[in-house]
Amino acid sequence: MTPSSTLSGPSTTSAEASEALRLSARDLVKDYGPLRAVNGVGLELEAGTFLTVFGPNGAGKTTLLGLLGGRLRPTRGKVLLGGTALDPSETAWRARIGVLSHQGMLYSHLTAEENLRFYGRLYALDDLEDRVGAGLERVGLAPRGQDFAGRLSHGMRQRLALARALLHDPDLVLLDEPYTGLDPYAAAVLRDVLASLDDGRRIVVMVTHNLKEGLELADRVAIQVRGRLAWEGRGAELRDGDFEHRYHRVVQEASA
Amino acid sequence: MSTYLRQVYAIVWKDLLLEARTRERLVAMGAFAVLAGVLFHYSFDRSRVRPQDIAAGLVWMTLVFGGLLGIGRTFYLEAQDAAFQGVLMSPTPKDAVFLGKTLANFVLLFAVSLLVLGVFALFFQVSLGPNPGVVVAALALGSLGFVALGTLFSAVSTDTRMGETLLPILVFPLLVPMVVFGVSATTRLLAGRPVDEVAGNLRMLGAFALVAVAAGAGLFRFVVEE
Amino acid sequence: MPSKGFRISALGLAGLGIAGVLLLHWMVFFWVPTEASMGIIQRIFYIHVPAAWVAFFAFGIVALCSAVYLWLGDDKLDRAAMAAAEGGMVFTTVVLVTGPLWGKIAWGTFWTWEPRLTLTLLLWFIYLGYFMVRSSTDNPERGKRFAAVVGIVGALDIPLIHLSVIWFRSLHPEPVVLKPEGPSLDPDMLLTLGVGFGSFTLLFLGVFMLRYAVGSAEARFEADLREARA
Repeated sequence: MTPSSTLSGPSTTSAEASEALRLSARDLVKDYGPLRAVNGVGLELEAGTFLTVFGPNGAGKTTLLGLLGGRLRPTRGKVLLGGTALDPSETAWRARIGVLSHQGMLYSHLTAEENLRFYGRLYALDDLEDRVGAGLERVGLAPRGQDFAGRLSHGMRQRLALARALLHDPDLVLLDEPYTGLDPYAAAVLRDVLASLDDGRRIVVMVTHNLKEGLELADRVAIQVRGRLAWEGRGAELRDGDFEHRYHRVVQEASA
Repeated sequence: MSTYLRQVYAIVWKDLLLEARTRERLVAMGAFAVLAGVLFHYSFDRSRVRPQDIAAGLVWMTLVFGGLLGIGRTFYLEAQDAAFQGVLMSPTPKDAVFLGKTLANFVLLFAVSLLVLGVFALFFQVSLGPNPGVVVAALALGSLGFVALGTLFSAVSTDTRMGETLLPILVFPLLVPMVVFGVSATTRLLAGRPVDEVAGNLRMLGAFALVAVAAGAGLFRFVVEE
Repeated sequence: MPSKGFRISALGLAGLGIAGVLLLHWMVFFWVPTEASMGIIQRIFYIHVPAAWVAFFAFGIVALCSAVYLWLGDDKLDRAAMAAAEGGMVFTTVVLVTGPLWGKIAWGTFWTWEPRLTLTLLLWFIYLGYFMVRSSTDNPERGKRFAAVVGIVGALDIPLIHLSVIWFRSLHPEPVVLKPEGPSLDPDMLLTLGVGFGSFTLLFLGVFMLRYAVGSAEARFEADLREARA
């Protein structure tokens, strides 16, 4: 196997990365005192997968995403990225994960560029200025680089947050309700960027309420209800046009 | 190693930049320092008590109360928009995050301590003695330990229902060594005593700072984990 | 849930402890000779000093269990720390009540900034902080970790506080038991003190184990509740 030479991205080459890249979760459980937010979830995702998780409020979708991203420590079970467990005491795996939630994780009193530069330094990225420029370009914010993040509209902030999430070229991209409150232009930018992420060498997991947006790019879908994945489907099953009915039926049955 | 230092520096720089732009904590602590001086002026009778004798105590106590005010807000801006979550999810080690936040707080507090010293020298006609540099060094050492403990417990209190009001309960008992040795050293220095008389006190302040920073760096990861 | 053997031993220890405490009180009120210089009030010493020992011993347990809890993540250790903290705080309160009482009658003032008593006062507040962070968080797991951090930092700082308050001033009468030349107490007084140490320690250990068992039962109940709702 010939190693590729100058691709960006952390340590491995692209070919090795997509060979090694798997996200596995086994019997994930997360308890908060008397509440079991995630109840025995298992997942196996290979590179090139786009998974959307639907579910009603309180189903534990955000918790699940937190577990997959290593932000939360599971009460039981493990999450493995490329074969290595997400051990909180190690830091290398964090460079492979990018997260976009409905909260932008941005500092209002820093400019767009300063926000990205700060994150780039936390991730110890080399060609920082280039990445910052390219990142802003990609989400259509190049002319607004010097504006304070607090002065940007919600849609622009989310676009900036997207640039932040992808700055370090992560293998695993996690999105928590990314379309919430976005104006049509911002939503279109988001959709385009997400589509470009579907390049076969990454894993994308998105959590959303929005059935239409969620189905558009997904090749796998799950419906989470009360901490469990009540239904999983892939490919053709998603294009049969009747997903909405199926969704309501699954939620109703699982909530009973 | 240099990656680590650059990550720490990134956090220090970001915090100081934010403080320079918002100026909230600096103004709050600075105003506190001056106003406390005014209130203290009215709180004791100069014909019975010589300001020079109690100045050291007043300076340190003002630093503790005013400092806690600012330190309590360490994670306030971080809580907006879940900004801190982004920091925690990055590959930057948690102890580096702690050190960065502590150092930034230290810069702030050190600046405030100089202000307090200056204000009290002015208000109470207190002479700084023949070794003002050592007085400043004592304040710096004490501030470092204080800031380390304050930053650690600020992360704790920010996530409780009581918030910053919990901070004095958690931090004040632990500050006794700092106050004892800091005030002792400062009183002697202001009274013109030679520096080697306070060397022991300074060593204790140093030990306190070391333990506080080490404990904070080691325990911070358990505090910020969700 | 700890075994029946555990619970029976706990009850046994607590029972022995209570018996010891009753014996202690009999000895204090009726048997031990009166100390020459301080008079009758000195008898409170046999309660005050052993209580102080338990207060700090308990905190040592809190700190140790907290450290291992953070390291291993096992909830049992947190339950142990919590159990020790409850007992410890009670004995700390006993010290803070008997101390000033003794001081008022022996020296005329309730509070004299005696270094060891001051340290105990600060310990009381560290215990308070321990409980407050536990109960003031919405996420119970974080509350446990916060409390563990309070315990560990408290334990690290206590030696420094001790050094600083002793250095600052001292008013306490000669430490009659712990003098380097050897205790200068009358053998009967030593015996009474020994009974004090022994009975308080047994009582604390018994109550500690019982409280731990209750904590385990609570955790078990919570787990069952979780399973039922899921």
